[in-house]
Amino acid sequence: MKYQSQKLAQHFYTFAVVLFLVQVLVGVIAAAQFIWPDFFILNFNTIRTLHINALVVWLLVGLMGATYYVVPEESQSELWNLPLAKLQFWATVIATSAVIVGYIIQGLFPQANTLIFGTLALNEGREYIEAPRWADWLIAISVILFLIINFMTMFKSKKWTGIQGTLLAGLTFLALMYLPGMVYMKSMVKDQYWWWWVVHLWVEGAWEVIAGALLAFMLMKVTNAKREVLEKWMYLEVGLVLFTGILGTGHHYYWIGTPGYWLWIGGIFSSLEPIPLLMMVWDAFRTTREHRVVSNKLGLFYATAHAIFNFVGAGLWGVIHTLPQVNKWTHGTQLTTAHGHLAFYGAYVLLVMAMIYITLPLIRGAANFDTSRGYRSFWWLTISMVFIVLTITGAGMVQTYMERLMGLDYVAVKANYNLWFWIFRGIFGLGFLYGTWLFVLDFFKLGKEQAKA
Amino acid sequence: MSNKGAKNLFIYGSLFFFVILVLLTIDTMDQIDRKAPEITASVDAGKMVWHKYDCIGCHTILGNGSYFAPDMTKTAENKPKGYLKKFLMDPKAVNPGASMPKLGITSEEADNLIAFLEWIAKVDTNGWPPKPILAAAAGSGGKELSAGQRVYQSLGCSNCHIINGIGGTSGPDISRVGSKRDREWLFGHFKKPEAYVPNSAMPAVSASDADIEQLTDYMLSLK
Repeated sequence: MKYQSQKLAQHFYTFAVVLFLVQVLVGVIAAAQFIWPDFFILNFNTIRTLHINALVVWLLVGLMGATYYVVPEESQSELWNLPLAKLQFWATVIATSAVIVGYIIQGLFPQANTLIFGTLALNEGREYIEAPRWADWLIAISVILFLIINFMTMFKSKKWTGIQGTLLAGLTFLALMYLPGMVYMKSMVKDQYWWWWVVHLWVEGAWEVIAGALLAFMLMKVTNAKREVLEKWMYLEVGLVLFTGILGTGHHYYWIGTPGYWLWIGGIFSSLEPIPLLMMVWDAFRTTREHRVVSNKLGLFYATAHAIFNFVGAGLWGVIHTLPQVNKWTHGTQLTTAHGHLAFYGAYVLLVMAMIYITLPLIRGAANFDTSRGYRSFWWLTISMVFIVLTITGAGMVQTYMERLMGLDYVAVKANYNLWFWIFRGIFGLGFLYGTWLFVLDFFKLGKEQAKA
Repeated sequence: MSNKGAKNLFIYGSLFFFVILVLLTIDTMDQIDRKAPEITASVDAGKMVWHKYDCIGCHTILGNGSYFAPDMTKTAENKPKGYLKKFLMDPKAVNPGASMPKLGITSEEADNLIAFLEWIAKVDTNGWPPKPILAAAAGSGGKELSAGQRVYQSLGCSNCHIINGIGGTSGPDISRVGSKRDREWLFGHFKKPEAYVPNSAMPAVSASDADIEQLTDYMLSLK
C-alpha cells in the first residue's frame, strides 16, 4: 500500500463482512422455515428480505471498499477529499441500519407499512429493491458521492488506466441502473419489466463489468503480469459481457405479459452469456501459468476460484434453463434459487473475498500473513455451497416434474416430496455458516497474530 | 487487435446493444397495456396491498419472487372468490394446514387484492404457466370417466381438493371421503356447505340436482 487514503477500504470491508455474517445467519433461519414455517418470531418474507438485502448491500459495500483501494493505486495519488469519503461511509452504515430496522418493524407490525406521499414507508414489497423511497434517495446520494470522489481522484492526477476506467464505468452503469426501480408502475407487468432492468442489468451487466476490471487488477497485483495484456483481455471480456448480457435481459421477458419477440432475443443472447465468463477462467489460468512468481497465493487462489464459480454458477447453472422451451417448465421453480445461490457465491462473494485477501494484507502491512484459516474457510464455504446448490437443484427437478408436468399441487410437492432436500440444505447451511464465521474471524485477526513459520 | 481497438469495441459495441434495448423497450411499453385488461382503481389499490404486505417475500407472481409459497398468477382463476377472501383475512381458520400467517388484511384490502389477482390472471403471458402434461392426459388414457368424475372435472373441484395425490391443498383431501360421509350429508353439503361445516369457505356447487347426485355417487365411491 502506497497511499494513506487506501486504508479507508478497511472501513468498508469491516461493514461488509459483518453484514455477510448477518446474511448467512438469517439464511440458516430461512432454511429452517422451509421445514418449520413458524420457526422464528419473524415470518419467512421478512427473513428472506433481510437475506437478499444484506447480500446486495455487503457486496456493494465490499466493492466500494475495493474501489477505494484500486483508484489511488491506479491514479498514483491520494483520494480526493478523504473526509467526504469517510462521511460517505458513515452515511451508508446509517442508511442501511435504518432500512434493516424498518424491515423488522414491517415484519412484526405489517400495518405500520403505511403510505407516505404515495410510497410505502418501510418496505416497498418489491424483491431485492424493498428499500423504501426515502432510503432510495439516501442510497443514491451515497453512491453519487462515492462516484464523485473517485472520478475527482482520477481527474486531479490525470492518470487514466484501463482498469480504473472500466471499474468506474461499471460502477456508473450500476448507479444509473438503480433509477428504473424508483418509479411506481400501476401495471404489474411494467413494474416487473423495469424491475428486471435493475436486477438483471446489475448482476449480469454492471457487476460483471466490475468483476472483469477487478479480476485484471488482482491478477496484475499478485503475478506481476503485464498490464497491456491483462487490459486487452479485460476489454474483450467486459465487452462480451455487455454484448450478450444487455439483450440477454430478454430471458426475463418470456412470460410476464411482454411481446413474443423476447422469446427469440432472450433465448439467443442469454445462451451466449457464459462465453465471456469462460474467457475469464481462461484468462486467470493463462496468467497464472505464465507468471510463476506469485506474491499472494491465497489471493490468487480466491481470484481463480471466483473466475471458475462465476462461470459454473452464473454461466452453466443459468444457461441450463435459459432457453424458452425449457424455461416454460422451469420458470419460477427452485432451479432459479439454485442458480441464484451459486451465481452470487461464485461471481460476487468470492470476488469480494479475493479482493479482501489481496488488499487487506497490504493495508495492514502483513504480506506474510498466516493463510491456513483462509484456506479452511474457502473449503467449508465452497463445499457447503456446492451441496446447498445440488440439494436445491434436486428439489427444483422434482418440483418441475411433479408440479409442472404431473400437475401436483405446489404445497404438496414442497411439503412432502422435497422435504429431504430441505433438511440437507439446512445441514449444509450450517456448514456454510461455519465457513463464514472462519472468514470473519480471519478478517479481524489477519496481520494481528503471529504468522506460523 | 490493439488495446485501443479492444477498448473502442467495448465502448461502442455496448452502446450499440444498449440502444437496441432502449428501442425494444419503447415498443414493449406500447404493447404491454394491449396484452392486459384495463387497470381499474380497485386493481391499482390491490397492487398496493400486494406491496404493503410484502407478498413477494414468500410467493411468486408471473413466476418471479421468493419460491416459498405458490405462484399467484392464476390463483383468481383457480380458487373461488369467497374462499380467497376468507383465506386472505385469516388463512388458518379456513385451512388449518396453511403456512401463511394472519397478516391483518382488512375486508376492503382483500377485495382489492382479489381484483388485482383477477387482473393478473387475464394478462397474456405467452402461454405460461403451461398446462401440466400428465394431469391433462388423465382420463384420456383409454379409461372412460364416470358421470360423477366428469362433473368433478368440469366444476374444477381439483383446484382445491386432492383425490389420490392429484389436486390442490386449499380444501381437505377427499381421497377417502366416501368412508367418512353418507349420501345425505354429501348432497346437502354440496347445496349449502356452511350449513354442514361452520364458517366453510367452500362455495355452494352451482349445478343441476342430477349432476350433484352423480357427484355424490362419485364421492361415495372414494373409500
